[in-house]
Amino acid sequence: MSLNRRTLLSGAASLALPAFIRPASAQGDAIKIGVATGITGNWSALGAQIQRSCRLYAKTVNAKGGIDGRPVEFIYEDTQGDPAACVRKTTELVESRGVKLITGLISSPESLAIMPRLAGWNALYLAPISGAGSLTSTAFVPNAFRTCTSGPMRARAISLWLAKSPKQRFFTIAQDYAWGKNSLATFEKLITDLKKETVGNVLTPLGTKDYSSFIARIREARPDVLYVAMSGDDATAFLKQAGQYRLSERMQIVTEVLDLFNTKPLGDAGIGLHGISQYNYAHAAPANAEFVRLFRAEYQDIPDTWEGEMWQTLEFLAQGIRRAKSTDANALRGALESIEIDSVKGKVTMRACDHQAEQPVFMARLDKDPAIPYPTAKIIETFQADAVIPGCRKDTY
Amino acid sequence: MNAWQLLLTLLLNTLALASLLAMLTVGLTLIFGIMRIMNFAHGALYMFGAYAGISAARLVDSFWAGLLVAPLVAGAVGSAFEYFLLRRLYKRDGGSFLLITFGWALAMSELVRLIWGSNTRDVQLPEILSGIVMLAGEPFPMYRVFLVVFGSATLFALTYAILRSRLGLLIRSISQNAEMTHALGVDVGAIRSLTFAVGCGFAGLGGFLAVPLITGYIGMGGAAIIDSFVIVMIGGMGSFLGSAVGSLLVAATQSFGNFYFPDLALVVTYLLMICVLLLRPGGLFGEEE
Repeated sequence: MSLNRRTLLSGAASLALPAFIRPASAQGDAIKIGVATGITGNWSALGAQIQRSCRLYAKTVNAKGGIDGRPVEFIYEDTQGDPAACVRKTTELVESRGVKLITGLISSPESLAIMPRLAGWNALYLAPISGAGSLTSTAFVPNAFRTCTSGPMRARAISLWLAKSPKQRFFTIAQDYAWGKNSLATFEKLITDLKKETVGNVLTPLGTKDYSSFIARIREARPDVLYVAMSGDDATAFLKQAGQYRLSERMQIVTEVLDLFNTKPLGDAGIGLHGISQYNYAHAAPANAEFVRLFRAEYQDIPDTWEGEMWQTLEFLAQGIRRAKSTDANALRGALESIEIDSVKGKVTMRACDHQAEQPVFMARLDKDPAIPYPTAKIIETFQADAVIPGCRKDTY
Repeated sequence: MNAWQLLLTLLLNTLALASLLAMLTVGLTLIFGIMRIMNFAHGALYMFGAYAGISAARLVDSFWAGLLVAPLVAGAVGSAFEYFLLRRLYKRDGGSFLLITFGWALAMSELVRLIWGSNTRDVQLPEILSGIVMLAGEPFPMYRVFLVVFGSATLFALTYAILRSRLGLLIRSISQNAEMTHALGVDVGAIRSLTFAVGCGFAGLGGFLAVPLITGYIGMGGAAIIDSFVIVMIGGMGSFLGSAVGSLLVAATQSFGNFYFPDLALVVTYLLMICVLLLRPGGLFGEEE
């Protein structure tokens, strides 16, 4: 048989392909953690934060001998932010790669899509981002835990902060999916309970590029306060365009997600924007100081919201494994219930009844920090967990 | 805001959005018109041009540098793709082009991620474009005014070139009968390559122009290309005028729709496409093939 260029290339490709399709597992006794996240697609910037935290965590923990002597290995899969792809990729992680610990999912629809399957997989899921209230209420499953704050907790914190304000007229803009709708409904109810007026709302389709008409609609309603429940690239685009239309000169803008990722493109024009800083690099907690030090040494920048939230998720997981002395789903589930950890947000407890982490919620204002080259979220008020968390397995107040 | 102020705002929003959409769609139309290739990588080139333009703008601290570099880089990348890969498939059927441009789109998206990372990227507007103009007492962003003026001027220039220049004449003749044009001694291959590069350049230009509104992010091409395909279907495959009218119609349904009936704005856009295709299967200005 003669060997021509085509045969050679085909042979080389067939040899190389399996290495791309299935990276070899690093260590036999490693604790395998499946990270099904948005590596491409609309959530890729959030997925990049998730991956940065995981890489730093693996490096830090493995350098200290791992968790209970076992190294940590993260296996990444790209969900593209699509619930169907997420189910497919997570199934592959569980059934083909033997992964029983899953995290890193971004959107609530993705989380809601895999949660009913966890028991069948005998796997545990720790949600680091998904905010829809239903995850820990109507859609609750025993094998899922939410380590971040929920949308209702954040909406509650904002409404408590606004209760002291003389402003009366409120407009809400939210993304048209589970979390956005949930936040809109929760916020409007809380505002109505405060005897204030909701003068309009609008749900925007995911991936909207041009917000000019929505902005015209908001201006037309003449609210005192605009409440924004948007995340990811859509939030960046909206806040940018709102700035170009000088919306903040006519109303106060309060966002449920005050991420550096969204506010960096605004530059100094974003100063004065209020919102929830779910994780804050400047929060005074020993574990946070250590995390920020490690993060700055590794990436020469301060951690953003999802990097901090992901770190908290991994701390929960590690403490749970140490407590259970096992990675078995049943043993670990029991260990995680009611566990208290020293987290980047201080003392945080996993509520046993609905698997929602009890933690403070920070109201912040975008401001200058002389040590950072761009405006950052400065905490102006902290709401403790008992003030903002809904009743057990509830997402309303 | 009174009714006139509102109407003026919505009309200007429509024109600014139509300019952005037309940049992307005109390139798609140009390529289809002369080569009969539906370029599925157009969205990826839109993103690639945007990221290349951002890098150039940051390098020399000038938005205008990005505006120049984005179409040049996208055009060069498109040209290389046409020369090394696409050219070998001209004798095959349309399915081959679909597959290779789709594969190219995936490869380009990944390439952007590998080169520039997953974080969003932004560009600083020059002072002249970052302000507002007061229109009937309401603030309107200067950048959107620029989009309307720049988009219109670019489209007029391109239309003039197609209708009045010798190159335009050759492009039109190749789109109508490539064999006959070739028989008259014209290097059809070279014109096709140039047209492909120009079409890709427009995608890059559209991507960079979108950055001050949406920032550059991985996936920005995928979101934009869907609107472009809808516009091409409405306007007619390969029709320049159709692209311009289609861009205006889609922009109008989105601008007015998002204001008056936000829950149905997207539905109306697709309903418009369905109605046009039912009445004129080739699109408003296209021919049924």
